[in-house]
Amino acid sequence: MLDFFTIFSKGGIVLWCFQGAGVTESFTGPVNALIRSVILQERSGNNSYTHEALSLKYKLDNEFELIFVVGFQKILTLTYVDKFIDDVQLHFRDRYKNELEQKGSLKLLNNSFEFGNEFKMLLREAEASGKAKSPAPMRSFKESEKSQKTVKSMIETKGGDKGKEQSGKKNKNTKKDAPAAEAAKGDQVKAPPTVQKVTVENGNQGLTADEIMLKKREEFFRKHMAAPPEKTSSKSPKPQKPREKPRRVWDISGKSGKSTKTLDYSDSRNGEDSTNEGEPNQDVFFDQVSAVGLCLFSSKKAGGFGGMFGMLKGLVGSKNLTQADMEPVLDKMRDHLIGTSSAKGISDQMSSYVCLAVASTVKQALQDSLVQILQPKRRVDILRDVMDAQIQRRPFVITFCGVNGVGKSTNLAKISFWLIENGFTVLIAACDTFRAGAVEQLRTHQRRLNSLHPPEKHGGRPVVQLYEKGYGKDAAGIAMEAIAYARNQSFDVVLVDTAGRMQDNAPLMTALAKLIAVNMPDLVLFVGEALVGNEAVDQLVKFNQALADHSMSDKPRLIDGIVLTKFDTIDDKVGAAISMTYITGQPIVFVGTGQTYNDLRSLNARAVVSALMKA
Amino acid sequence: MEKDANNPFEPYMETLRQQLEDQDPVFLIGIIVALAVVVITLFLKYFLTSKTVCSAVLLVGLCDSGKTLLFSRLLSGNYKRTQTSITDSSAPYKAKNDKGSTWTLIDLPGHDSLRPQYLEKFKSAARAIVFVVDSAIFQKEVRDVAEFLYVLLTDTVICRNTPLLLVACNKQDITMAKSAKLIQQQLEKELNTLRVTRSAALSSQDGSVGGSLFLGKKGKDFEFSQLPMKVEFVECSARGSKGEDGAADTESLELSLAKL
Repeated sequence: MLDFFTIFSKGGIVLWCFQGAGVTESFTGPVNALIRSVILQERSGNNSYTHEALSLKYKLDNEFELIFVVGFQKILTLTYVDKFIDDVQLHFRDRYKNELEQKGSLKLLNNSFEFGNEFKMLLREAEASGKAKSPAPMRSFKESEKSQKTVKSMIETKGGDKGKEQSGKKNKNTKKDAPAAEAAKGDQVKAPPTVQKVTVENGNQGLTADEIMLKKREEFFRKHMAAPPEKTSSKSPKPQKPREKPRRVWDISGKSGKSTKTLDYSDSRNGEDSTNEGEPNQDVFFDQVSAVGLCLFSSKKAGGFGGMFGMLKGLVGSKNLTQADMEPVLDKMRDHLIGTSSAKGISDQMSSYVCLAVASTVKQALQDSLVQILQPKRRVDILRDVMDAQIQRRPFVITFCGVNGVGKSTNLAKISFWLIENGFTVLIAACDTFRAGAVEQLRTHQRRLNSLHPPEKHGGRPVVQLYEKGYGKDAAGIAMEAIAYARNQSFDVVLVDTAGRMQDNAPLMTALAKLIAVNMPDLVLFVGEALVGNEAVDQLVKFNQALADHSMSDKPRLIDGIVLTKFDTIDDKVGAAISMTYITGQPIVFVGTGQTYNDLRSLNARAVVSALMKA
Repeated sequence: MEKDANNPFEPYMETLRQQLEDQDPVFLIGIIVALAVVVITLFLKYFLTSKTVCSAVLLVGLCDSGKTLLFSRLLSGNYKRTQTSITDSSAPYKAKNDKGSTWTLIDLPGHDSLRPQYLEKFKSAARAIVFVVDSAIFQKEVRDVAEFLYVLLTDTVICRNTPLLLVACNKQDITMAKSAKLIQQQLEKELNTLRVTRSAALSSQDGSVGGSLFLGKKGKDFEFSQLPMKVEFVECSARGSKGEDGAADTESLELSLAKL
């Protein structure tokens, strides 16, 4: 049933692979696509991925740096795959523990990992268990509860018994209330608890849910076998007091399961409480860090805590570091310190020191991850692309889009100044036909730029020209005409200025999408201001969505880059850069830091991240 | 005669001894301390200016250029199926020369998002950099290859250490593969334009300038011989002409590595 199964190291060497019968294509391509889009993006919640006709599931093993990937046809829904991967992983690890533990890749290269037989056995087991979901056999009358009851018990008696019985019998499909069943001993006259109907959420859980069902059924029968002897002893059932509703335990408020007693820190747990309060900043930072997603950092060792705490190494080791992992470690460490009769004050200081040490490791890892997010995934070299377009004798078209008032026209002027400085000729297309004064604004910029770089110095031809058709016309049509004009007059770059629009305004978003789809610009830049905050995510998502929806082709033009404006107005609140880059995956191409022509910069990822982490 | 030989020195020795004894002991101690400081400074300077221990050979290149397979071939000679690497792999490598020197061979991932951080980590320890190029699809990728090479060549740490740069034109077993000479010419042309656009790039928002170093000589077309570090072009094929079971065709690469 499976198309292939591979086990390979994170360094790229395939340790073992299996290709299903009749499968001819190599699986290298799909697995590479899986690695690139899912594992490297670090954004996926689930562990499956579809590539053309194949569906791929994977599992990471961070201790030995291995990846297990299984692939099967998308149309099949195999339910045993998740458990199967887990089994394979356990078996493989156990068998090759020695080789895998060694540092360095020589062992991986020199060994041939023979796993075929075990794999076949596991596969057979998994397939067999997948098939063994036969429907539950119907019970014979003898086995059912009704045959066990005496006639007398069914006779109506005083008190609410019969009513309870009847309702109990009718509620065959209610959930079994386990605590209540335990609480009401000898109360089998009452509605016998029915087998819990476990709602199978998705096919993957079917196997384990079945096990739950079997277990519950066993319990039920066990209880029921004990029931008849009891029943015969009590001839007349006493009136039962109404079954108490078990007290609900809310998981959300505070820590689940902890009553007020455990939350009372007044006596022995005093030290821990004071330490926790002494570093509120630390805890807040931990919360923030864990919110960002500590699972971003796979296999971050928490560092050996030194010889004294060697025993704790087993606890932390090289797992993913989560906050839940931290707490028992810190508690244990404190207890150990106090147990070795070091003073309580010192133990508190040590635990805070460890907190700091771990926090700095986490901070470094977070910094690296943020820098990686901000690094452009592809080349950001506009001058090179313009040169390419020059060679091909066509203009390079850049479109600016964004919401109202972010600085599209100002930054368009700055970018055209930069391009002129590097010797290109620019045509500005005034496609903002709505806002009053938009065309005049661009005309003023054009005049100023031309006076800065007079035509006499550039071969008698004005370096900047404005293409406008007044107000109220269709923006997409003006853009198309402008590009044709630029091609005729051999301009190097066309900068298209559009009107600002809110991301919720559907007709305007449609108009923008039409402009971009029809004119196919080389670069679609989204202009966003640095002050924006959470809105940035919403804006970008909706803009991208609109562009994708309204394009006719199957490869729609989406936002290719971001211009971050008004960067001089924020001091260290540079989080907008991170959220924008993360949402689109596109680089920040320009940063606007003022209102004169020289205030155009490129993004320095390290500087931004260090400014962000200074908090 | 002995006495005659000693005689000219003796009066000098006498006067010197007398002078030293006449001097203040504190002054003497001062002189000794000053001498010691000078000696120690010279010592430290000598140690610090010598290069930090570089004993690693890095395998870099774009994604899918064949670095991991080359790594496997150089180390063990076996053919291994490979996938896209997401971490580095390192192992000691014994060079095929008379000295039998060993150094560490490190295979870095080529994927765009991982490249900068791994390069950052390992560049200071690099004694030689093997830049693996996929010769078959070079025409399509020439700009990406040139951009990566530009980043390598203008890196301050690499410029300071000047490791040997071996451009390995891999996948020569494919018929459409370009020769090393052609690849060199194309890269020179591309880097010629790239250095102009990169130095005209915008500066960063905190003031640091982006393209600081200008490759090669101004006024003349860019050539690899103008660089301070040695750049060699070799051809190789990690897969080998006979396919998976045959040996790899990496002799020229191994020869160049042996010269280190």
